Amino acid sequence: MSQSELEQKPGLSIWRVIIFYGVIAAVMLYYVFRLFTLQIVSGEDYRNRAEDNRTMEVSLPTERGSIYDRNGYILARNIPSYNLTIIPANLPADEGATQGIFRQLSELIDIPVNNGEINEETERNFTPCQTDLGISQIVFIGDSLAPFNPVRVKCNIDAAVAKVIAEKSKDLPGVEIEIESVREYPTGSTTAQVVGFLGPIPAIEQGYWESLGFVSNRDKVGYAGVENSLNEILIGKNGRRIVEVDNAGKILRDLEPPVVPVPGNSVRLTIDTRLQSIAEAALVQWMNTWNLRLGEQKYTSGAVIAMDPKTGEILALVSYPSYENNRMARLIPAYYFEQLQNDPHRPLFNTAISAEHPPGSVFKMATAIGILNEGVVTPEKLINDPGVIRIEEKFFENDPNPRTREYVCYLYKDTGGGHGDLDYLGGLSQSCDVYFYKVGGGYKDEVPEGLGIWRMGEYARALGYGQVLGIELPGEQDGLIPDPNWKRVTVGENWSTGDTYIATIGQGYVLSTPLQVLVSVATLANDGKLMRPTIVREILDANGEVIQPFQADMLWDITKDPMIHVYDEDFFQTGELKTVEPWVVDMAKRGMREVVANGTATDAFIGSEIPSAGKTGTAEYCDDIAREKHICVPGSWPAHAWYVGYAPFDDPQIAVVAFIYNGDEGARLSAPVVRQVMDGFFELKEIDTGLETASNP
Amino acid sequence: MFKKEVWRHFDYWLFGAVLLLSVFGIIMIRSAVAGNEELAGSVQSQSIYVGLGMAIILITTAIDYRLLVSISRWLYILTIILLIGINLIGEEAFGSTRWFQIGVINVQPSELAKIVMVLVLANFFSQASTQQHNLRWIMRSFMLTAGMVVWILLQPNLSTSIVIFVLWFAMLWISGLPTRFMVIFGLIGLIVLVVFIILIVSGVDIPFLEDYQITRIVNFLFPDPSARHGETYNVEQALVTIGSGGWFGAGYGNGTQVQLRFLKVRHTDFIFSAMAEEFGFVGTVIVMALLVFVVLRCLYVARNAADQFGALVAYGIATLIFFQMAVNIGVNLNVLPVTGLTLPFISYGGSSLLSLVLGIGLVESVAAHGKTLAF
Repeated sequence: MSQSELEQKPGLSIWRVIIFYGVIAAVMLYYVFRLFTLQIVSGEDYRNRAEDNRTMEVSLPTERGSIYDRNGYILARNIPSYNLTIIPANLPADEGATQGIFRQLSELIDIPVNNGEINEETERNFTPCQTDLGISQIVFIGDSLAPFNPVRVKCNIDAAVAKVIAEKSKDLPGVEIEIESVREYPTGSTTAQVVGFLGPIPAIEQGYWESLGFVSNRDKVGYAGVENSLNEILIGKNGRRIVEVDNAGKILRDLEPPVVPVPGNSVRLTIDTRLQSIAEAALVQWMNTWNLRLGEQKYTSGAVIAMDPKTGEILALVSYPSYENNRMARLIPAYYFEQLQNDPHRPLFNTAISAEHPPGSVFKMATAIGILNEGVVTPEKLINDPGVIRIEEKFFENDPNPRTREYVCYLYKDTGGGHGDLDYLGGLSQSCDVYFYKVGGGYKDEVPEGLGIWRMGEYARALGYGQVLGIELPGEQDGLIPDPNWKRVTVGENWSTGDTYIATIGQGYVLSTPLQVLVSVATLANDGKLMRPTIVREILDANGEVIQPFQADMLWDITKDPMIHVYDEDFFQTGELKTVEPWVVDMAKRGMREVVANGTATDAFIGSEIPSAGKTGTAEYCDDIAREKHICVPGSWPAHAWYVGYAPFDDPQIAVVAFIYNGDEGARLSAPVVRQVMDGFFELKEIDTGLETASNP
Repeated sequence: MFKKEVWRHFDYWLFGAVLLLSVFGIIMIRSAVAGNEELAGSVQSQSIYVGLGMAIILITTAIDYRLLVSISRWLYILTIILLIGINLIGEEAFGSTRWFQIGVINVQPSELAKIVMVLVLANFFSQASTQQHNLRWIMRSFMLTAGMVVWILLQPNLSTSIVIFVLWFAMLWISGLPTRFMVIFGLIGLIVLVVFIILIVSGVDIPFLEDYQITRIVNFLFPDPSARHGETYNVEQALVTIGSGGWFGAGYGNGTQVQLRFLKVRHTDFIFSAMAEEFGFVGTVIVMALLVFVVLRCLYVARNAADQFGALVAYGIATLIFFQMAVNIGVNLNVLPVTGLTLPFISYGGSSLLSLVLGIGLVESVAAHGKTLAF
């Protein structure tokens, strides 16, 4: 080849030039193809990414509504908390000046100028406010992430220090004080079980909250109490700006008109903080008095609820032990939360609405209206209490091998005797177990046909047992009214006569919450009208205008709404429904008055000026805790103390329940607490109506 | 000088295309640096360079390229002295030493070296065209090239070194590199490339390669998709910038990727991407076509040159422009790893522009003076 090429002078070998043309053509065609792929085929995709680059959504935080008690006393509000932030891009360009600013800040906020090393690990693990790094390191990381975004150097600095820094702001370019809103609970642990606390958006609900425009790691949601149950009302709506940003994160302009945040509504609760304090003090002091007397920490937890029986408004709701919700205001400290969770007395658990325990004798009120309404006995009929009765325990009709068991009245344990002959009022006021065994389960010829478990359940449900009543607090439980079907399914055993006896007096399988016990008696006090217990009085907008006034919510009236199923002789429902006769309700009220006037609660209410009515309860139980302590001794079981009452008798204004876990005896432990709450209520009433000066010259 | 004759054969098409590209470059730089105070002077300085550049083309055209044959040896030595000088006393810029400041003009000897090497190699191959095309011939041309490149490598400036070696190879090829050597060279090149990649990946230090250059190559071969900044981010943003252009682009000054500075080094290395966003597929293809037109026009001059030297000079300049353009666009399209090569005539940079227009001036000289002997 060389010979022929050498002759082609001057100029270039044609085929070699052609190959060069070929290379140019190949490269350029490939580039045009590549350009086409990028711009036309995937153009949409890249346009979206470019759009993502330049648009940023800025969430404008809303303000959570406040929580007040019924008199306008603040239970939860927002207070400012100051964070020191630095915008790295706004620091002086001169390194020396920047270091000077850092040194000044270091003295004020007590964070070293230099600490720790910058490497991939520390950069990845960096969490503002929770870092050991020095100011320089924090700013360096912030600068590398987004130089125009403020990076938090220290959170929750002293208000005075914040003020000093704010005043010096001209000399401290790039340094800013960020004001963050945190929750404050002036009444603390007294109302913690009602008010609750806030926490960060949980990871599992992140999608939900973010779809509503909330920001994880910034916005908080309610974790407990009304902060949780009324979260939707309180939380408000974040505002939003769609802005154009440049590569450094600097906001250039709004791309859309900004949406301003809508502040949350405020809530006025039905709680009276003063009564709440009285109730808490009454419960705690009385338990402590007895603990001192007994020389052991025997009584450790309990609940008190006070309610207006006519409206269902909860005036006080105490669950003891409680917790300090102010400690969760900024963030939930892990050690404190762990401590609360591991506490055997369960301070985070709302005993008043979530604890399910046997109600004991307070449950007799359900049986009591049942026996009269069903005509099992007349009020005058005398039933004999010999102290102990023996019946054959039959698990099904014609059981060939019945077991004979003894059923005793509580009096028998102490005296060896019984109450003798008692009528209806006597049976109630003495809380005579044998009276209720006989009328509830039937006894030989004396009461040929007792009320029976099915019909007892009807009356219990009519008074609010066995269901969730709908108070606006998280964690309300429904309790349990057992019946033969339930027992067969759950326990795997047939229902026996003895089960009915025990259920009649609110023990055995029967479970209820303190709230249900309160509502059952409040319903009777209110002449059969069951008011839904409520904790919310009014909802106010951000300007304090009432947007939802209070309205009492009657769920049903047992004397008017037919809700008692009629059963045939084989205990099948006939499909008919009936009401409770008004005179039955009246008799039940008279019975409860007798309890105070001339019965089990008489001692507790000696000298009380305002006539009240009520019912004691001492509910034997044996749960895991008792079993562990080896106190489940047959014949001498541990017992919860109950008392539920209302006052004044003729015009009920307040109904109160007190429950003390393992409280031994309702009349001794719980009734005095209820009395103190009632006394406190009427005293407050006098103060409020200005009558105090008149009565105490 | 045969003035009339010279301008009769002056290639107006080539000059026009270069002028068009240079002016378009100024316009594009203006858009790319908008809002950046530090770079605000770029438009003005580039305009001055373009004006200066056009003058250089005309002046160079007027000089008969044959005169350069006699001084190419001296140019070769002078350039090497300049390169050594820069290594000793040059100013530090961007981590490696490449600049001489003469008044307001930064002179980059390595840019000059490209043009000088075109002349030197064209001289060598035209004089040696009667020789046997054997290994000795190849080695002599190689030594000639290496004698210059070694000083550039020492700066270190890998991309210019590669450009000059490519230039050498292209000249060798057009001067009749026998096919058997071609095959051997191809094999050696392949083996070197494979060994090179293995060494880089295994993290072995390679002489003449800085850490950042290794990082570039590794990033190209194994990109980290989650990078927020650095090379991969830049290349990724270049793709987003190009891709968002669509058929007709966002319009001049309206590309968000460019104007909001998501695209980095947008007035130099990535000006192609900026152009692609604002003028779209159609506009970009037109500019690419114009660049190819310049290359083809140089080759046209080469094929019609009066002598072997002139042909090789024009061919060499064509290669230079084409290679730089292909590499720069390849980087923008993410088919090549990031290099420092700019887009001819359009990217910001006086030194690069001046050396390119010097090359165009030489081609014009070949075009204009070629016919002067043919009367």
